[in-house]
Amino acid sequence: MKNPDAIVIGAGVVGACSALALTNAGLKVLVIDRGPVASGTTGAGEGNILVSDKEPGAELTLAMRSRDAWFELDTDIGGGFELEAKGGIVVSRSEKGISNLKRLATLQKSSGVETIELDRNGLQKIEPYLSADVEYGVLYPKDAQCQPMLAAAQIMRAVKKRGGVFVQGENVIKVNSNHNSVTGISTDKNSYISPIVINATGTWAGEIAKMANSYLPIMPRRGFILVTSPAPKLIHHKVYDADYVANVASGQADLQSSAVVEGTASGTILIGASRERVGFNGELDVAILRQLARQAISLFPILSNVQLLRAYRGFRPYAPDHLPVIGEDALISGLWHAAGHEGAGIGLAPATGELITSQITGQSPFMDPSPFSPKRFQGSEYVAV
Amino acid sequence: MHNVVIVGAGPAGLSAAIAAAAAGAPVLLIDSNPRMGGQYWRMAADSLENQIDQHYDLETGLLLINAVKARKEIEVWSNAQIWSATHKDGVNTLRIIHQDNEKIVNTKNLIICTGAYDRTLPFPGWDTPGVMTPGAVQSLLKGHAVLAGKRIVVAGSGPFLLPVATGVLKAGGEIVELIEANKPIRWLKSFAAMLENLHKINEGYYYLKTISTGKVRPRFGYAVVRAYKADNDELDSVDIAKIDRNFNIRKIKNIKCDVAAIGWGFTADTSLAGSLGCKQIVAEDDGVVIWADDKQQTSVTGIFVAGEITGIGGSELSMAEGVIAGISAAKFVGCKVEIKKAHIKRRAKKQRFATALIRAYPIKSGWKSWLTGESIICRCEEVDLNDLKHAITELGATDSRTAKLFTRCGMGLCQGRICGRSVVDLVADNLEISPTDIDRIAAVNRPIITPIPLGVLAAGE
Amino acid sequence: MSQSEIEFTYNDQKITAVAGQSVGAALLAVNIRSLRLSRFNQNKRGIFCGIGVCFDCLVVINGVANQRACIIEAKNGMNVQTQVGSNA
Ligand SMILES: Cc1cc2nc3c(=O)[nH]c(=O)nc-3n(C[C@H](O)[C@H](O)[C@H](O)COP(=O)(O)OP(=O)(O)OC[C@H]3O[C@@H](n4cnc5c(N)ncnc54)[C@H](O)[C@@H]3O)c2cc1C
Ligand SMILES: Cc1cc2nc3c(=O)[nH]c(=O)nc-3n(C[C@H](O)[C@H](O)[C@H](O)COP(=O)(O)OP(=O)(O)OC[C@H]3O[C@@H](n4cnc5c(N)ncnc54)[C@H](O)[C@@H]3O)c2cc1C
Ligand code: FES
Repeated sequence: MKNPDAIVIGAGVVGACSALALTNAGLKVLVIDRGPVASGTTGAGEGNILVSDKEPGAELTLAMRSRDAWFELDTDIGGGFELEAKGGIVVSRSEKGISNLKRLATLQKSSGVETIELDRNGLQKIEPYLSADVEYGVLYPKDAQCQPMLAAAQIMRAVKKRGGVFVQGENVIKVNSNHNSVTGISTDKNSYISPIVINATGTWAGEIAKMANSYLPIMPRRGFILVTSPAPKLIHHKVYDADYVANVASGQADLQSSAVVEGTASGTILIGASRERVGFNGELDVAILRQLARQAISLFPILSNVQLLRAYRGFRPYAPDHLPVIGEDALISGLWHAAGHEGAGIGLAPATGELITSQITGQSPFMDPSPFSPKRFQGSEYVAV
Repeated sequence: MHNVVIVGAGPAGLSAAIAAAAAGAPVLLIDSNPRMGGQYWRMAADSLENQIDQHYDLETGLLLINAVKARKEIEVWSNAQIWSATHKDGVNTLRIIHQDNEKIVNTKNLIICTGAYDRTLPFPGWDTPGVMTPGAVQSLLKGHAVLAGKRIVVAGSGPFLLPVATGVLKAGGEIVELIEANKPIRWLKSFAAMLENLHKINEGYYYLKTISTGKVRPRFGYAVVRAYKADNDELDSVDIAKIDRNFNIRKIKNIKCDVAAIGWGFTADTSLAGSLGCKQIVAEDDGVVIWADDKQQTSVTGIFVAGEITGIGGSELSMAEGVIAGISAAKFVGCKVEIKKAHIKRRAKKQRFATALIRAYPIKSGWKSWLTGESIICRCEEVDLNDLKHAITELGATDSRTAKLFTRCGMGLCQGRICGRSVVDLVADNLEISPTDIDRIAAVNRPIITPIPLGVLAAGE
Repeated sequence: MSQSEIEFTYNDQKITAVAGQSVGAALLAVNIRSLRLSRFNQNKRGIFCGIGVCFDCLVVINGVANQRACIIEAKNGMNVQTQVGSNA
């Protein structure tokens, strides 16, 4: 492709959704990835599309739009990625946990999230194998799920059908600019010219920012997921303990986990995910697998006979304030970031694509994008570091 | 505290255990089977008595097994399956399922002899009950005294087909066809290796004699290329094709049978050694094996390997390597012992024969032409060739890992042990590229070596 | 029933086997070759590798699914069932 209107670096779910939104807006888009589609964190993600785990605020607004956008996208490109509105159930077994959960659910409800409170009977009716000692939970009918690798692949397929170009196997090594305006990029094999470059490299977004002589504090947060052998349909929703919500918002480095348990279209059960900050250390840590197994069994005792088949891990891209970075770089014009979605990149991808596209094309965005702006990290105090 | 831990009680592991114990090292020998002997000397339970007829060289096996039992320095854990292993700061942690409980063994000195299993190639109908591996037919006989069926076709490639056919005849079964895809003439290329291993020719002669007494005439240059189901959805018949040198089909005829035992040599099970970080390489037959130096030590100090996981070479090479690995490991823990010249010479001789074998029985790329779009490739997840092609042409997979994640091909309970090797070849073929060593090695990466109940996992610490 | 004989049930049918035989071998000995129905296409499957590698011989034993018939020793009184999909 000669002279693309925009170059997207990264063919994970965020890059794919950004490329699709830009293409749908009429831009000629070139996507570049050093590997195949979904070869980064997207290939290690679990596929939860959650509204239930977000506190009211900008991220929840983004998540609510994104959830609906997933279903619109499904229709638009013809599906093929196991999207399912299965609903999420958040439970708690401690007094403090229950009162926190009630408070959160009430706040979420006033922000327009659908919530249904359930007691033990209500829970047993819709999740018959849930441990009988669970007495309180909230059902979030809008929580959904997809298979993230297939999603990214199907979206890239649509991008290509609609005129976009996907170059894979090229490593971006430089973001070129002139007087602090982007002019294009160089890979280990070629150079490409474009006035707009979108950095959708997830956990590696800081490196791309650096190549452009800018700065972005995106770091890895490791997570393990357990995959079981195929089982009959034992679990109907995605079910997790309210502690999970506390983990998501936590900044602590040491291991945290709270099992999110759910069945998949292929019959396997996913149990995820741990969260810890150990850099890019990919070693299998059996202690984490055991902890996740214990938590899953405590929610669903029947799982103790189901076998662990695989465990995989990935590195969530996270920013210090746990919000994604979506917007134009404060130092280099024409460089846009769509990265740092931490443990919610699958869920938030379509709305991220919309938000970045409306800003680039000058249309009015569906929400105020300023809370996500990279500017928040690009004041002098950060750049000096 | 055991000085040397050995995994696998086949020809390699037994030899290693005896060598290490003889040198003065206490040994813990771990094996997942209920009885020692590995694949070659698969033993039946006492109540069934050993199926002596089914063995060519049971004497050696019993000698080794009894020697292991007699040595008090050797402790044996049978029915003990390692499900996970990790290496950290020189210590190997083995996590073992033993009678529904988990045991943990930490050791600095490990000999891994986990052997191999039959290599299979997918073809239309290969998931029909009645189609099985030659190893299955043999283990049913050796281990359980059961004949797999009434009318048996033995096919594929490699010398292993001969003992399997022999075993069936000895047990009173009927061999309808014994067919080998390669021509015997290929052996002439390795004349020297044959001459120095004449007793192997004797073994072959013994099998061929039994086979001809059973009025079976082996065919060369043929292959089973399709299996058909009867009304009860079990095996009814197979198509046998005359094939050319590249395994492309020339002429087909249909043969009725209730068992088709088809194997294409062996695939090493490197999962355990791979989990511990031992360097894996691609052998001449494109199979992934563990690299070892002349002392049988892997790229990880203190971990030694022997037997089929260093390259497919048969029981004698396995034993020769096992002895050296046992000595090396004993020396590593401080025993005063040296590898002798004779050990090295024996291993070299067996290695030359093994190399000759691999060259005499190549698997040629034409097998892919036997498949149709609807042929199942991954038996566990029921992924067919069309699904794989879709992942490549429509979803943009450009390597076997991505194709696997898109289709679930190789992600079922066997963890790609059965289809993984073929999938790498099929994906590359559809992309019109050659598979890389990285592709092949990625396909055997199994950090969870065998599935483990979550309850057992949760109970561990 | 001789000393070394044992008895178990397969889908409520009585099966006699020699002690030490695997469930799969004992069933094959009485010409039962199909042990499960596959998850997606409901195809019959039976013993394939015979040594515990392929997981194609799955049966339900005493209520627990995904048991490999080829390596599990048949025991007196076992209740063995065809595995349908991921479980009966
Ligand atoms: C265990 C785990 C469970 C998770 N579960 C969920 C979940 O249930 N729901 C949810 O919403 N999220 C989940 N996530 C988070 C989610 O996976 C991520 O937020 C999301 O995948 C990020 O997508 P991305 O497109 O930004 O990044 P990636 O998918 O990592 O894509 C970035 C791409 O950029 C490419 N790239 C990087 N550098 C370069 C370069 N220099 N040149 C060329 N290409 C480059 C990479 O190859 C990669 O393909 C989970 C994450 C983990 C680890
Ligand atoms: C079914 C079958 C039949 C064969 N029959 C013959 C024959 O008749 N003649 C012939 O020349 N060759 C035969 N072979 C080839 C055979 O593999 C070798 O000749 C020889 O047995 C190899 O010896 P080994 O010690 O390397 O491994 P093996 O004999 O394969 O022994 C490996 C041992 O390691 C154990 N093991 C593996 N992984 C684990 C784990 N994670 N935890 C615990 N234990 C583990 C296995 O249970 C096994 O007992 C056969 C192979 C197979 C698969
Ligand atoms: S037949 Fe392969 S595992 Fe039982």
